[in-house]
Amino acid sequence: MSPLDRLLADKFLALADDELILAHRNSEWTGHAPILEEDIAFANIAQDELGHATLWYGLRAALTGEEPDDLVFFRDAADFTCAQLVELPKGDWALTMMRQFLFDALEMVRLPWYMESQYRPLAEVAAKIRPEEIYHYRHTSAWVKRLGWGTAESQRRMQAALNELWPYTRQLFAPLPGEAALIEAGYLPDLMRLEMDWWAEVEPFLTAASLTIPAFTKAAVISRTAHTPHLADLVADLQAVARLDRQAIW
Amino acid sequence: MSGNSTRDTQWPRFELFQQEQPGKPHVNVGSVHAPDGEMALLNGRDVFVRRPECHNLWAVPARQILARTAMELAADDGWLDVPVPPDAAPQLYRIFQKTTQRRSMNYVTHVGDLEARTAEEALKLAQRRFAAADVFVWWIVPAAAILVSDEDQVESLFRPARDKTYRQPQAYRTLSQMQEIKRTTPT
Repeated sequence: MSPLDRLLADKFLALADDELILAHRNSEWTGHAPILEEDIAFANIAQDELGHATLWYGLRAALTGEEPDDLVFFRDAADFTCAQLVELPKGDWALTMMRQFLFDALEMVRLPWYMESQYRPLAEVAAKIRPEEIYHYRHTSAWVKRLGWGTAESQRRMQAALNELWPYTRQLFAPLPGEAALIEAGYLPDLMRLEMDWWAEVEPFLTAASLTIPAFTKAAVISRTAHTPHLADLVADLQAVARLDRQAIW
Repeated sequence: MSGNSTRDTQWPRFELFQQEQPGKPHVNVGSVHAPDGEMALLNGRDVFVRRPECHNLWAVPARQILARTAMELAADDGWLDVPVPPDAAPQLYRIFQKTTQRRSMNYVTHVGDLEARTAEEALKLAQRRFAAADVFVWWIVPAAAILVSDEDQVESLFRPARDKTYRQPQAYRTLSQMQEIKRTTPT
């Protein structure tokens, strides 16, 4: 494998792990969402994110020959490369909606760039994912707006969620080791540019939803090898059944 | 949580109408609760359009619908005497009928539109203009009350469902695998 392919494989793993872990967190609401209609809608979004993870794992598998199922079910938690934002427990509905909104806004700004990638398989996957993400963003931004403008309690909870999650957003725009070479090759967009686009989307929207973006008060975690304690619990839960019998056919 | 336990905290009910392809009529597929029309469309999309084909979706607040069964109309013709307010302006009403008992999943189907000053007047006109052998149910809906999904969002709202064969029960060979397990497991 060429050095550039090695870097690409790492990037696809990070993208896939983000979607997988977020999908799992979202699926924890199934049967527990605030109303039946939203239960169905959010389970649907969780399933979409899982589908996107499958696509990213597939791009990695095409380079490394690994089996996506092995990466998901038989890799140790310490070897996952997801961002800490998606590891955090689901919290209340405000936290879940705010996290999904912040993540969907990132999808909205990065997928058009990915669609222009010089690495064709990446451009093709991005084009496939984008229509679903347009819907996700419409769904989660509708919730954020209504909860922000809802009652004193809903506004308070949304602001608390934003305060808790905001420091974790920095990591989303931190390059992987060697990522500069992929940007140089025209495979990936410049992360600073991406962060500016994201900010231009998120800042006016949250302000209009009567929410205040907090200041960064401490240095953000950048490396994707550093995880919160929550990840190990999640991965144990995710892998429990698969690890009962490695030979089982599903 | 304290307070008045009899207070209804349920969101309003919206009826959803799905159009499978351009040119086909909108068919009622069920109802959702939602705080407003946009959320009703989004909820309707997720509850009813995850698998089947869909080109367009309408959401209508249920309280805006004049609904009458044939039996109700036969039993009471008092609605014919509902006066038309002197200042009532003509507006467009969309007319829906249920004409078959065979389709369990669908209720009423859009059959056409007409102008009238009240829903009752629209029903009276509709009974002549859209007369059919068996009309089991009539729904009269002011067109202005209908929230319509955007044409340019077909790609993001409805198209992705087509590729998701894993949502179909046929995608899982559960039955054949169970039969295989039964066949190969000693009793």
